[in-house]
Amino acid sequence: MIVRWSRWSPQVALIPAVVVALVAFIGAIGWTVLLSLTRSRRFPEYVIDWSEWSRQYERLFKDSGWEIALKNLLVLGLGSCLAIVFGFVLAALIDREKRGEGIFRTIFLYPLAVSLIVTGVAWRWMFNPTLGVQAFLHALGLTWVNFNWLASGETAMYGIILASVWQGSGFYMALMLAGLKSINSEIWSAARLDGVSFWRLYAEIIIPMMKFTFLTCAILLSLGVVKAYDIVVAMTNGGPGQTTWVPAYFTINAYWAKSNLGYASAAAVIMLAITLAIFLPLVMLTAWRERAREARG
Amino acid sequence: MSLTIAEAPVERAPLFPRKKKGITPRSIAILVFLAICAAFFCVPLYVIVTTSFKTMDQIRQGDIFSLPLPLTFDAWWNAWDSACSGIRCDGLKVGFWNSMAILFPSLALSLALSSVTGYALALWNVKWANAFLFILFMCAFVPFQIIMIPLIILSSGLKVYGTVWGIAIVHAVLSMPILTLIFRNYYKGIPHEIMSAAMMDSGSFWRIFVEIILPMSANILIVVLILQITSIWNDFLIGLTFGGLGTQPMSVVLANVVITTTGEAAYNENMAAALLTAIPPLLIYFVLGRFFVQGITAGAIKG
Repeated sequence: MIVRWSRWSPQVALIPAVVVALVAFIGAIGWTVLLSLTRSRRFPEYVIDWSEWSRQYERLFKDSGWEIALKNLLVLGLGSCLAIVFGFVLAALIDREKRGEGIFRTIFLYPLAVSLIVTGVAWRWMFNPTLGVQAFLHALGLTWVNFNWLASGETAMYGIILASVWQGSGFYMALMLAGLKSINSEIWSAARLDGVSFWRLYAEIIIPMMKFTFLTCAILLSLGVVKAYDIVVAMTNGGPGQTTWVPAYFTINAYWAKSNLGYASAAAVIMLAITLAIFLPLVMLTAWRERAREARG
Repeated sequence: MSLTIAEAPVERAPLFPRKKKGITPRSIAILVFLAICAAFFCVPLYVIVTTSFKTMDQIRQGDIFSLPLPLTFDAWWNAWDSACSGIRCDGLKVGFWNSMAILFPSLALSLALSSVTGYALALWNVKWANAFLFILFMCAFVPFQIIMIPLIILSSGLKVYGTVWGIAIVHAVLSMPILTLIFRNYYKGIPHEIMSAAMMDSGSFWRIFVEIILPMSANILIVVLILQITSIWNDFLIGLTFGGLGTQPMSVVLANVVITTTGEAAYNENMAAALLTAIPPLLIYFVLGRFFVQGITAGAIKG
């Protein structure tokens, strides 16, 4: 009796998770796609006029706000790559020196425990033109310094990038440090015996060996960038004007400020498409890595 | 497929430790560079801490890096008790208690759901386990916006929209895929012999879970617990979308206090408010740092 019961218990125990996955994820995605094809405004409508099913998408790609959002997504993505570079440099130096590893790791990682809202609030205060860092530098006589980045549409994105790099670098440092530690220590001794220079060792041996770690970091970073919302709200709230809009912000704004369900859904679908475009390489990377491991034995 | 990405990095002592070197010019240069970077990382914390203890008179003098003179706790008290977000001037205390009320049910729900699911998928013979795992893996990547509107409609239908319960349930639902993957990876490492022995002992699904598996999961439970506490506490978007007036979590109240100021902003109050919100996760980080780092790397794909 018990054996029989046990055959079914696992399936029964999985029911809640299956329901959640089917309803809250797969079902909800289908639902949003459906809404994006309708003319829903404040309330959901489920009638699709097939002769103009793409009208929300057509409107979306004519919307200058959406164009700005996509451009900013690219800018934010490229700028945030600094976090990976910075993280790698920090990890390589910490790994090389060893002294003070614990202290440095603790300092570089603490911003990760701070929420993006708090990060944004803190940096917004430092960017304050009359009382913040700029005022301090001007008082020192460096009057040519312009640190009032958030006030101008041309520099506001850089302010957001700076704050995100501050918050995220430690995470990539931790991933890189784990990657560096898994490198066989004989390589270091061999390189020293051969008299390989510091730069060549990193450029030609270490970085190629860590290509998987770099790729993983790049994919995680891109996924994070697509979701970037909190930091924008806390630092600029999309402004000045629409200059710091990103797709995540655009979608929420279309729903709350414009209360346009169909339009917000269409923007969300494009967000999903971008995520999928990043997600597929990840699946391939995992498979590739698996094969590489099997080939090695 | 294996989810290599969700493995926490393991600290390993090098097989052949490099020889201790003396202080060379190069290591001095490296240490100086690292110290400068560390200073850069500390500047924002230093600025918000000192600003929160200053008086507005001192802040108006415009020296952001100066030490607070005179030192005052007024801003902290105001931020907690009477800071205004919109028309309500109740401070952050309302948000704090809301966050607490969201945190505990959500932790209980998500840990129970995902540990049992991970256990069933890892150690029991479920034919469609791999297909389901792949679906979970994909779900873990989905941006919140794509499921936001249906979840709002569903939760209004269930009459939990705008309540702390609603927020707690949404947190549990959204974290289910990634937490299940973490638990499943951990339970997969349990030796097969233990499971066979337990089965022979006519142990049922639930008895094995409670009597054998749970006592073995202390480590992973702490990691997941810390991951969940920090991500729920630091969440903004779910609290914003599912919180009603008076049920918003602390981060949303903080954003309202800082963003919707009219007239001259009380910067010392804003910074005290930011610190009050940041203290719980920072405390966890500084006390349980090792588990925090494991959790954050394991849950990395959550973003």
